[in-house]
Amino acid sequence: MLTKSTAEAVLREALRTGGDFAEIFWEDRKSGAMALLDGHVEAASTVRRHGAGIRVYNGLNSVYVHTNDTSLTGLIASARKAADAVQGDTPPFDLHLTRSICRNLHEVRQMPMDVAGSRKAQLLRACDLAAKGVSDEITQVRASLSCWDSEIQIANSEGLFTGDTRVYTRVYINAVASRGGDSQSGREAPGALMGYELFSGRVDVEAAARMAAQRAVTMLHADACPAGRMPVVIDGGFGGVIFHEACGHSLEAAAVAFGNSEFAGKLGERIASPLVTAVDDGTLPNEWGSLNIDDEGVPTTKLVLIEDGVLKNYMVDRLNGRRMGLPSTGSGRRQDYTLAPTSRMRNTYIAAGEDDEAEIIASCPDGLYARAMGGGSVNPVTGEFNFAVDEGYLIRDGKIDVPVRGASLIGRGSDILTRIDRVGRELRLAQGMCGASSGSVPVDVGQPMIRVTDITVGGR
Amino acid sequence: MERELFIRELLKRGAERGVSADVCYDNGSSFEVQVKDGQVLEYNVSDSAGLGFRVLKDGHTGTASTQILDDDALEQLLDGAVENAGLSESKDARFMYPGDAEYPALDLYNPALDAIPAAEKIDMAKRLESLALAQDDRVKQIESCAVFSSADARTLTNTLGLDVSMRTALLGGYVSVVARDGEKVNTGSKMFFTMDPDSVDLEAVAKAAVQEAVDGLDGAPVASGKYRVLLRRDVAGVMLRTFAGIFSADNAQRGLSRLKGREGEAIAAACVTLMDDPHRPDSASSAPFDGEGVATYAKSVIENGTLTTLLHNLKTAKKQGCETTANASRPSYAAVVGVAPSNFYFAPGGADFDALVAQTGDGLLITDLQGMHAGANAITGDFSLAAKGFVIEDGRLGRAVNQITVAGNFYQLLKDIEAVGADLEFRVPSASCYGSPSLLVKELSVAGK
Repeated sequence: MLTKSTAEAVLREALRTGGDFAEIFWEDRKSGAMALLDGHVEAASTVRRHGAGIRVYNGLNSVYVHTNDTSLTGLIASARKAADAVQGDTPPFDLHLTRSICRNLHEVRQMPMDVAGSRKAQLLRACDLAAKGVSDEITQVRASLSCWDSEIQIANSEGLFTGDTRVYTRVYINAVASRGGDSQSGREAPGALMGYELFSGRVDVEAAARMAAQRAVTMLHADACPAGRMPVVIDGGFGGVIFHEACGHSLEAAAVAFGNSEFAGKLGERIASPLVTAVDDGTLPNEWGSLNIDDEGVPTTKLVLIEDGVLKNYMVDRLNGRRMGLPSTGSGRRQDYTLAPTSRMRNTYIAAGEDDEAEIIASCPDGLYARAMGGGSVNPVTGEFNFAVDEGYLIRDGKIDVPVRGASLIGRGSDILTRIDRVGRELRLAQGMCGASSGSVPVDVGQPMIRVTDITVGGR
Repeated sequence: MERELFIRELLKRGAERGVSADVCYDNGSSFEVQVKDGQVLEYNVSDSAGLGFRVLKDGHTGTASTQILDDDALEQLLDGAVENAGLSESKDARFMYPGDAEYPALDLYNPALDAIPAAEKIDMAKRLESLALAQDDRVKQIESCAVFSSADARTLTNTLGLDVSMRTALLGGYVSVVARDGEKVNTGSKMFFTMDPDSVDLEAVAKAAVQEAVDGLDGAPVASGKYRVLLRRDVAGVMLRTFAGIFSADNAQRGLSRLKGREGEAIAAACVTLMDDPHRPDSASSAPFDGEGVATYAKSVIENGTLTTLLHNLKTAKKQGCETTANASRPSYAAVVGVAPSNFYFAPGGADFDALVAQTGDGLLITDLQGMHAGANAITGDFSLAAKGFVIEDGRLGRAVNQITVAGNFYQLLKDIEAVGADLEFRVPSASCYGSPSLLVKELSVAGK
């Protein structure tokens, strides 16, 4: 544990050369993974990560040092290294830490690392059987379980001394369907910021396994998607990755502060169709992307990004907030103690609208229905994005027609936002890992069914 | 606890519990400085160390790892690894390796590089930024500019007598620039990395990034259709990295590659040779031993179009009844042993880049691919990816192209390679390193206008 006296000594050392702000982030993380391949436990591993990162600001410049050695001597040595890289002129100031206990919005009951391996294997076996039960064409199922608990403590020179324990549990199911020399895969990966009780009520792993298997079988019998520009209906849930990639990253202060975003300088302006309201919410109970406090110790918030098409807020961390003259929105996140935090998404979604889902399809000109999306990426400067359609169908005469495979969607975020002409009523969320400069962090994406008047669809 | 004592004690207690065991200890330091407007923006320094412990019991392995070396950790590792081995139901027996009589002597650690003072690296980053700003009036904004260095060491020890170690050091940097012309905006970036600080040419790096951004400013889609495609060397390297898994015997044995049992068959055009060379100088992906402690050697995987071997570790080799190719991967001390290439590359052919453009005739040059982690199916080989590039008309480069997707299948692409360039270039080395010359491909599907 990080004691108050150690934290104070480390922060003082870090500020020795005139930095104006110092922070220590201490972490002890235990994680476990188990993978089942074709009904047999293939690998099980246990990992203990432990260390601390020390950050010093001098105005808008930031120094970050991290180490595994969290003894007083080790931390002081790291603080000295950080201080050596700073030449500031802030005179020494009073440093007094006051411990604060964060509100707990995310109750945890069963620590997943304590659950017996045999029980976990049983859960994975149930996934395997459920997936194989869907079709004889399912030739391989890989089911894996990943869980970790991370105990963190954060202290900074403004007097903050707080901490939290974060517990994550997630199952990954990947089913492969094969016929002749051809094969297709389908995946589902539900998870939450909670313990092993995830599997008693919140997530039905067998249903998820069947969904993954059914997707693989459907795509095995699908033809290649035709290429070109067309209207696209994107279903709820992981379909929200379109907003995450195409717009979310460009609303992070890390991109906006330097003008590396197509939405920089546009607060208060219309950037999207008036049907679009988008939210980044770190407070949703036990959601995968939720937190009590962010990785800078700031309580998370529910933040409206876009309201009826008008840009309302950026997602702001402490350092980029300084650069932009904006307060933190509790959006400072990092993968672990090895990385300095930056502004990141939490649970980001397009809010429910008023359109009837059946009407959205029925009134759609011939195009593509993307029932399940894969991942994607974006260049925040230009807004150019791309993402894959995991399960797609052609829309013909206002009806969902044959399945198509291999489709990808490309475009520019600002362009796509203005072309949304329908937003459905039922909001659904889905889990993902988002990668950026501060590493890989759990996030939810989400939306109701939406329709975009035209997108470039890549196919063959 | 002192590291060597900890490892000795761990292996001893493992032996007392009647298991074979190995320890993988990684430690390293890293440095990165980012600059903006001639000032240090972010400065990151780290020291890190971690220990992975693996036990072998009745043919099953279990692993556990830690970043703290204290008495508690000792027992947690033992209990964790033994429990994990007990849970394993894998039908394929695992093995540990007693070590080879000799290991190749590789020069992967340059003390001069490790000794470069921070101030000098900061200065390099500042110079790179100002060089990038000096190239073209349309580039007034730098998205990011950084110089980094790292030094890493690994020791592998086991209860069968294996005791090997290695060290690497690397210097690198990158610049990403934004070009603007009226409403038009485009980005370009270039990275460098080397073990020899004297070989760094910052001006060439800056020029390449700026040229990428400026040349692509006028980009517009082309009409959808089938195009003859020249994959520039860096893009061809990305393609190889994305689909490298199909050459893993582990994937083949699990039905995740179509190359199972196809050794000796022609799987690519006759002009294609694919190499795995763990001894390449100037690469941090080179190593004298693999993740299981087996001495490494260079090999061809495809020779003149014919699949010569898949990549093996001890487990997959035993299962197939052949020798390991020393491609056991252990990207970090905490990782489970798998299979991965070292320096994996298409061997260069004879044609220089301009000759390839001329040979393309009418088609597209692709200079950027995005979305590899989602738009590429590593099992089936299918890909559909966002791309940028240039039109090629009458054997000459024409206007810039963006907002298109390029789709195809990697297995088919291997067969459709019509010419291989002489311009072999490697990507940034990490656990593995991928390289390629430019490749001329008969046909790919393009979605645009």
